[in-house]
Amino acid sequence: MMRFMMTLLAALTLWAMPALAQGNGPLRIEITEGVIEPMPFAVPDFVSDSAAGQELGRNIASVIAADLTGTGLFRQIPSSAHISRITSFESPVQYADWRAINAQALITGAVSTDGAGRIVAKFRIYDVFSGQELGAGQQLVGTQDGWRRIAHKVADQVYSRITGEGGYFDSRVVFVAESGPKDQRAKRLGIMDYDGANVQYLTDSTSIVLAPRFSPTGDRVLYTSYETGFPKIYVLDVASVGRRELPTQDATMSFAPRFAPNGRTVVYSLTQGGNTDLYTMDIGSGASSRLTTAPSIETAPSYSPDGSQIVFESDRSGTPQLYIMSAGGGEARRISFGEGRYGTPVWSPRGDLVAFTKQSKGRFHIGVMRTDGSEERLLTASFLDEGPTWAPNGRVIMFTRETQGEQGQASLYSVDITGRNLKQVPTNTGASDPSWSPLQN
Amino acid sequence: MNTGQIISGAGHLALIGWALFGGVFRSDPPPFEVVEATTISTEDFAALLARTTSPEAVATVDTPEPPAPGDAAPPLASTPDTAPESTPPEAQETAPPDPAPDVTEITPPAPAEVEDTAPVMETPQEDVAVMVPQVSPRPKPRPAPRVAPEAVAPPEPDVRIDEVAQPEVAPDEGAEVPQEPAEATAQEEAATEIVTEAEESKDTAPTSSLRPKPRPARPVQQAETPKPAETPKPATTETPKPAAPATDQSAVNDALAAALGTSQQTDTAPSGPPLTSGEKDALRVSVQQCWNVGSLSTEALGTTVVVSVRMSEDGKPDNGSIRMDSFSGGGDAAARQAFEAARRAIIRCGANGFNLPPEKYDQWRDIEMTFNPESMRIK
Repeated sequence: MMRFMMTLLAALTLWAMPALAQGNGPLRIEITEGVIEPMPFAVPDFVSDSAAGQELGRNIASVIAADLTGTGLFRQIPSSAHISRITSFESPVQYADWRAINAQALITGAVSTDGAGRIVAKFRIYDVFSGQELGAGQQLVGTQDGWRRIAHKVADQVYSRITGEGGYFDSRVVFVAESGPKDQRAKRLGIMDYDGANVQYLTDSTSIVLAPRFSPTGDRVLYTSYETGFPKIYVLDVASVGRRELPTQDATMSFAPRFAPNGRTVVYSLTQGGNTDLYTMDIGSGASSRLTTAPSIETAPSYSPDGSQIVFESDRSGTPQLYIMSAGGGEARRISFGEGRYGTPVWSPRGDLVAFTKQSKGRFHIGVMRTDGSEERLLTASFLDEGPTWAPNGRVIMFTRETQGEQGQASLYSVDITGRNLKQVPTNTGASDPSWSPLQN
Repeated sequence: MNTGQIISGAGHLALIGWALFGGVFRSDPPPFEVVEATTISTEDFAALLARTTSPEAVATVDTPEPPAPGDAAPPLASTPDTAPESTPPEAQETAPPDPAPDVTEITPPAPAEVEDTAPVMETPQEDVAVMVPQVSPRPKPRPAPRVAPEAVAPPEPDVRIDEVAQPEVAPDEGAEVPQEPAEATAQEEAATEIVTEAEESKDTAPTSSLRPKPRPARPVQQAETPKPAETPKPATTETPKPAAPATDQSAVNDALAAALGTSQQTDTAPSGPPLTSGEKDALRVSVQQCWNVGSLSTEALGTTVVVSVRMSEDGKPDNGSIRMDSFSGGGDAAARQAFEAARRAIIRCGANGFNLPPEKYDQWRDIEMTFNPESMRIK
C-alpha cells in the first residue's frame, strides 16, 4: 500500500511539473505577430561651417531622406517636427528629444571641403530607443559634382545597417528613351541614376535601339540596334560611348543579348532560316557556340548569378513558357506552369528568384517565382507591364509600364518584391526597357 | 413365516387383484361408422332403372335431289366498273426549302494546357472545423502602408497617431475630481497583409467549401494495438527483484528530486501566484504592437531570437538589461537585425510601463521573450 502511495505521489509530482516550472525562472512569452510599417527616422541637415556648405549639407540630407523614404521601408520625420537641433557633429545626441517624436533612427552628419576642393562628408547612425550608435561613423570624400553619389552612399550604409541587406541607391539605370508619337517613335539609349537624376544619352535617335543590358561591372552596355536593317548586337563602353558590333553571320538576326557573370561571355538569340535559338559568344575572340537546337523559338536568356545555369523563354510546349538549362546547353527544365504566357525571365542577383512578365486574361503582370517554379507571386497588373530588371540587392524590381491608346506612353516603374511600394521612376521623356547596374564603386 | 413375508404376500395379492379386476388390461372399443339404410319397393326400383334407358327415334329426314344435267347456267350480267372520279389535287406552291443553316466555323475549343508534371495531391487537413471553407482565401483588405495583426480603420484626420487608441478627455469644470486633459489618439490605419496590385481586384468569395466530415467512429472498447514482436525470453526466468527502498521517505524524496531535476532552485523561485493567461496575453499584445518587422531583411525575417529583459516594479523594462539569449534560423548579422527590432519593440511599448499586476512582480521581474517572425514572413 505504501508503495502504491509513493508511486501515486511521484506521478502527481511529474504531472504538476509544468506548473512548477512556470513558477521558476523568467516569465516566458512568445511573440509571433508584429506590424509591418515604415520605420520613422530623422536626418537633420548635415552641419557645415560655411554657407555654401550648409546648402550642400541640406541637399545631401534631402537626397538621403528621399532614398530611404523611396524604399517604402522608412518614413521621414520632417525637420519642422524636430525638437533637438544638431549644431555640431561631435555633440552628444539628446535621445529623449528624438524619442519624443518617435524617431527610431537618427542620421547625423557634417560636410566640409578639403584643400583640393573635394567634399568631405561624415555621418553617424543612431538607434534612438536603445540609445546606441549603430556601427561606427564613416567619412566619404568626393568631387563637388558627385555630391549626390556621396548622399546615395550614406543612404546605402543606413539602409544596410538597419535592414541587414545591401543597398541599391548608388547605382544607375540604362534604358530606352522614347519620344514622338506612337507610330513614329524615336528611340535612343539613356543612362541615369537609379532615381532618375543625371540623365545622359548614349546614342542618337537615327535608328531603333532595343534591350540595353549592363555588364556585371557596369562599365559596358549590350544592346540591339536596327542600324543595318537587321537587328544586330552592339557593345558600348559607357565612359567613352565607343561601340562595336558583335560579329554574327550576315542575313541573320541577333537580339536579346545578356552578359554572363564573368563579363566576357554574351548569351543571345539568333534567328537563322526561320528558327530562333540561343547562342553564346566570347566577346574577345568572337567565337560562338550554339546552346539550343529545337525548332521552336528560344529567346530572352538570363544567367544565374554563379553563371552555371540559364533561364530563358521558349514556346516548345505551344505557348511561351520559362525553362532552365545548364549554361553549356542540354536538357531544359520547364519551371512555369501557371495559366497564361510567360516571358523575359531575369535571374535575381541573390539567386533565389526569377522575375518575369506574364500575360493572362488580357492583362500583363510582373511576377516572381522561385527557381523551381514554386511560390509564383504576381506583383503588378496593368494594360502592359514588361521587361523586369533587378536592383543590385535583389529586393526591388524596375520594369516598363505602357498606357493604353494612341497617346499611350511608356514609363518606368519600380516595385518591392513583396508587391508593396509600386511607384513611377521620374524621367523627362518616355522610357522603356530598363537595366539596373550593379552598385558603383 | 415371519411378518415380512406375510406383508409381502398380501401386497402382491392386492396388486394382482387390482390388475385383474381394476380394468388395467381392458382396452377401449375401436370407433365404428354408422350408415343409415332405407328399404324401397320393386316398382320404385324399376322406375329408377327406366330413367337411364336411351330415347327411341320417331322421324326420318329426306335426302335432297341432285340437279339435272341439262339446265343452262344462269346468265351473268355485269357492268364494268367505272373508275371513280377523282379530282387531282390542286397544285399548290410549295414552300421554299429551308434555307441552309449558316455554317459558321466553329472554333475548336482551345486545348487545355497540360502540365508536364502530375499535380500533387494534397492531403486534406484532419483537424479542420466542419463548416469552415477550406479553400476560402483570406479576405484581401484594401492596401494600407501598415500591416498589423488586426486591421485598423483609417483614423480621423485630426487625431494623433499613437500605439494605443484613447478618446479625448476634456476637463470638466464641474467635476469634483480634477481630470487630466488628454488628446485623442488612434492607431494608424493597417491591413492584415500585404496586397499587391495584381491581387487587389480578386474576388474574395470562397470558391469551394469543405465537405462535412463523416461521423466519428464509435470509440473502440479495446484499442487494437499491434502486438509487439515477441522478444526472446532470457534463458533464466527468474527476474532479479528490485532493490528494496531504504526507507519510504527517502523514496519520496528521490522521486521528487528526479522529477524536479536541476530546475529546483528554491532560493530564487518567485513567490506568489503565476500570471494568468489573460495577463500574459495582454503583455504579448503590448509588445507585438511595437514589433515592426517591415524594415528587416528577408534573412532576418527568418531568424527567431530569444530576448531576456529585467523589469522594474513600475512595469518598465530596464533598457540596459535587454540582451539576446539565443537565435535560430539565420546568421549572426541577421540575428543582430532581428534582435535590434525586438529591442526597439520592448523599449518603445514599455516606455510607459506594461500593464502587469504589481502584486505578482516576482513572477514577471525577469521576462524571456521569443520573437518568431515566421508568420510575418508570408504576409
